Amino acid sequence: MSVDHEGVRDLIAAWALGATLPAEEPRLLSHLAECERCAGEAEQMREAVRLLDGDPRAAGAGPEEGAAGPEEGAAGPEEGIADPAEGAHSMPTDPAPATPGPTTRILTAALRARPAAPRVAPYAAPYAAAVAGLQALLRELGESGPWSTPVVHDWDIHATVAHLVAADEPLALHLGLPPCEPRSAVPGGVAWRDAWAARTAEVIAREHRRTPEDTVATWQERTARLLAAPEARDPELAAPAATLLGIRMPVAEHYLVRAFEAWVHTDDIGRALGRAVPPPPDPQLWQLVTLAVRILDLALGTTAPPVLLTVSGAGGETEWVLGSEADPVAAELVLDPVDFCLLIGGRYAPADVPRGLAGDPDAGRGVLERAASLAWL
Amino acid sequence: MVVPVDLSNAPSDAELHRRLVYGDESALAEAYGAYGGLVRRVALRVTRSPGAAEEVAQEVFAQLWARPYAFDTGRGTLRTWLSMLAHRRAVDWVRSEERHRKAAHADEDALYAIPAPGPAPDEVVVDMERAFLLHSALAELPLPQRQAVHLAYFAGRTYREVATELGIPEGTAKTRLRTALRRLAELLAEPPDASASESVERGA
Repeated sequence: MSVDHEGVRDLIAAWALGATLPAEEPRLLSHLAECERCAGEAEQMREAVRLLDGDPRAAGAGPEEGAAGPEEGAAGPEEGIADPAEGAHSMPTDPAPATPGPTTRILTAALRARPAAPRVAPYAAPYAAAVAGLQALLRELGESGPWSTPVVHDWDIHATVAHLVAADEPLALHLGLPPCEPRSAVPGGVAWRDAWAARTAEVIAREHRRTPEDTVATWQERTARLLAAPEARDPELAAPAATLLGIRMPVAEHYLVRAFEAWVHTDDIGRALGRAVPPPPDPQLWQLVTLAVRILDLALGTTAPPVLLTVSGAGGETEWVLGSEADPVAAELVLDPVDFCLLIGGRYAPADVPRGLAGDPDAGRGVLERAASLAWL
Repeated sequence: MVVPVDLSNAPSDAELHRRLVYGDESALAEAYGAYGGLVRRVALRVTRSPGAAEEVAQEVFAQLWARPYAFDTGRGTLRTWLSMLAHRRAVDWVRSEERHRKAAHADEDALYAIPAPGPAPDEVVVDMERAFLLHSALAELPLPQRQAVHLAYFAGRTYREVATELGIPEGTAKTRLRTALRRLAELLAEPPDASASESVERGA
C-alpha cells in the first residue's frame, strides 16, 4: 500500500461527485488505472452518482456537476422563461436565476402562510417589523410549547404577551380604538406608573385564564389595528404630541416606543427559550437608537455633566452630546447599538454593558446608571 | 442620520435571516434569487418532475418565510439548509406519489415523466427504484455528511470549497464525502432486486 494509494483513496468520492481540484485528476486517474481495488470503489461510487443524477442515459458520462458552476449553472426548466411584464421586479443583486415568474409564485404562496410586515410610515415601520418578529418567534412554540417558561419580572411567555396587550392599550385608546378586556377597574388619579402596573396585572390575570393561542390572537388583532390606524400611515396625523405612560411626545414616536418594547420583550422571550433573536434590521434598529437617546437625554436633563455618546456598530456610527450644553464635554462613552438599546430597556446592569469610556469616569458612569434605571418599559 | 446599507452581491445569511424574521418580504425574494435554482435542481433530481420541483420549491421557501426561526444561523449555512430541506421534501413527495399510485391501483400509470429515447423500460424502472433508494438513504445520512454531499454534489462545490463553507479541514471534507458515498455504494452492492423491493416496501 503506497503513500500515493492513501492520498488518492481519499479523493475518489470527491472525484465521483465532481468535487476534486482539476490539478489532482491526472494523479488520481493514473492511480485508478493501476489499482484494482480503488478502481472498483471508484466504479461503485460513480454508479451511485449516476443513479442520483436521475438520468438513465448518463451511464458512463462524467459527473455532471463538475463542469457546472454553482447554483446558477443549472436550474429548473421554467427558470429560463422570463415574463417581461415582471422584469422590473427582478432582484438587482442577482440577475441570473431570479426570473420573476417563479419568484412571484413563490412569494404569493409564502405570503399565504405568513403575511409580510404591513407597509406603514417610516416611524411605524419598526413596530410593524417588531410585531412580525415576535409572531415568528411565537410560532415556534405552537399550541403545546413551553408557554410557562419564566421570562422577566414574574411573567412567563404567556404573561409577557398579555403584558404587551396591556402596554399597547394607551396608544390604542389615544387613537380611538377600543380598550382591551377586561374593562379597567384601576381608579383615576393614580400615578401613571402604579395605574399601568395595575392595568398590566388585570390583563395578565384575564389572559392567564385563556389559552396562549387566544392571547396571541388578541395581541395580533390589536397590533394589526394599531398598524392599520390612519396615524400609522399619515405623518401629519401622527405629529401631535400625546402623554402616554408618562412620556409626552408625538404619536409618531409613541409608535417607536411600541416597537422598542415589543422587540425588547421578544429578546427576553428568545433568551428564556435559548434562541438568539436577531436585532431589527439596521435602519429600524437605528430608529430605536435615536428614540433611546432622546429618552435618555430627557431623563438626564440640561444640568448633568456633558458626555459625548457615540453609538457605533452594525449599520453605522452617530454621536450625541448629552446633558449640559454650557460646559465642556467631561467624558466620552462608546456603545454598540444593540447594547445601548438593551441598556435603555433595562436589560443590562450599568457595570455589565460593554462600553468604551474616556475622560471623567464619574460622568460616564452617571449616564450609564441613569440609562439603566429609566424603567420606562 | 445616515445609515449605510450593505448592497454587496451575496446577502449574508445573518442579514437575510434578520430581515426574514422581521417580515421583510424582499428578503424572501433575495433568498429565492440566490438559492431558488439550487432548490429546484435538487428537487428535480429526486422527483424528475418539473411540476413537483416547483411544488417543492414553493414549500421550501414558504417554510423559510413562515418559520424563519427553523433556520439557525449558528448551525450551518442557508445554502445547505435549503438544499437539505428541498431534498427531504422531494423524497417525501416521491413517497407520497408511490402511496397514491398504489392506493389507486394505477400501476399502469408511469410514476415519472421518462424522457425518450431511453433504455428499455424495465431497466429504467429498476434504475429509478435504485435511484430513489439512494436518495432516501442520502436523506438519512448524519448531518455533517449530508451537508458535505449537498455542497459538493448539488451545489457543485469542490471539496476545498466544501471545507471552507463548513469551516472544517480539507481532509475532513474528503472523509465526509467518502463515508457518505461509501454508504450509498454499499446499498447498490446489495442484490438489486432486494434493494428495489426494499425501496417499494419503505415507500408503502
